[in-house]
Amino acid sequence: MNIEEFIEKFAFAIEADPASLAPETNYKQLPQWDSLNTLSIIAMTDADYGITLSGQAINDARTIADLWAVVSGKAQA
Amino acid sequence: MTNPVAGVAIRAIASAVPTRVARTMDYDYLSPEERARFQKATGIAERHIVHAGQCASDLCIASALRALEHLGWEPDSISALILITQTADQPVPATSISIQHKLGLPQSCIAFDVNLGCSSYPYGLAIVSSMMLTLGIPRALLLIGDVSSLTCAVHDKSAWPLFGDAGSATALELDEQASPMFFDLMSDGAGKDAIIIPRGGLASRRPPGDGPVEQETDRDGVTRRPDQLILRGADIFGFAISKVPPSIQRVMEAANTSAELIDFLVLHQANKMINDTIAKKTGFSGDKVPSSLDRYGNTSSASIPVTLCANAEHFSVKQSSTLLCGFGVGLSWASALVSLEPGTVIPGIESDHVY
Repeated sequence: MNIEEFIEKFAFAIEADPASLAPETNYKQLPQWDSLNTLSIIAMTDADYGITLSGQAINDARTIADLWAVVSGKAQA
Repeated sequence: MTNPVAGVAIRAIASAVPTRVARTMDYDYLSPEERARFQKATGIAERHIVHAGQCASDLCIASALRALEHLGWEPDSISALILITQTADQPVPATSISIQHKLGLPQSCIAFDVNLGCSSYPYGLAIVSSMMLTLGIPRALLLIGDVSSLTCAVHDKSAWPLFGDAGSATALELDEQASPMFFDLMSDGAGKDAIIIPRGGLASRRPPGDGPVEQETDRDGVTRRPDQLILRGADIFGFAISKVPPSIQRVMEAANTSAELIDFLVLHQANKMINDTIAKKTGFSGDKVPSSLDRYGNTSSASIPVTLCANAEHFSVKQSSTLLCGFGVGLSWASALVSLEPGTVIPGIESDHVY
């Protein structure tokens, strides 16, 4: 469980090229980002990490690293 | 977990939608690319929506008449009529009582409304069947329907393109031979803001007669009248995929059965992503999970009967062990495991009739 793996899953969920994403990517500024991507990310963290993110959590986080901190924090709790 | 209910049979399930069709590909507030993406993710190609003047009660009455005709039941043999809707004809009196009169049911018929949304069908079966057994009611009608198109702002991309209008009727009868029904009935009011019409009731301290209705911009950026529906899709999504699968598991455990032994899982038609996730997590293969999203969208409280009726041919051959599960506004969610005799599910009808 590391951020590289998370970025790969994140990219797959929003149908982006993993190479185009980095920990510091501000994902809500991506050209293809929309509310359906929020649902894809919730589905991904549920399936792959067993964690239910709120829409608010995805909205509050800025970068992929921020969101990974939420997911990895919850996964350890 | 509640007790199973044994001794009540589901005799007929009918549903009705209006004839007018609204297509995702014609929705002005999304670009052509967004429409395609929306349709792929939600599974919704079109929905049926009412013309001005037609109510949820009209769609329920059309369904009830179809069910009574199918069964050859006389109106005066019905001793209870329960309507579940969140789009009643008026705040007071209860719409079910008007329907008792319009259907020509006797004055000795029990009639009342219940305010629930997407969880209505399992809840309704539990309410009506347990009441029939306790009070000794031989025959009852459970009517469920909503005209959600009238509650949403047309420009609200998070709600308008999802919802279709529909009504339904389920006819039940006391029968000692009937297979037991198993229920799991849940509530979580902490999630009340996930789907809400914020104004118009008394808690807002701004009843609609109290001055002009002004538009308000919500934190989701959409401007609406305060008596229009707000749907926070991401929060509902998280709720649905985390809370609904355990409810399905509990009802299967109570009945000592499993996904392999159940013929069909009929889910509330929220959107394709939610329903695929729930089916996968509970071990149901796609061919056991019929859908009506493509043609009817999210038909709110009526979605389970609408989906049954849209797939009536699957239920016409043999007795089907069927798990029904609704979830949404409240938050409220519920599962029911029932046995449907062949011929119980009547193909859906279209009606623009105003009764």
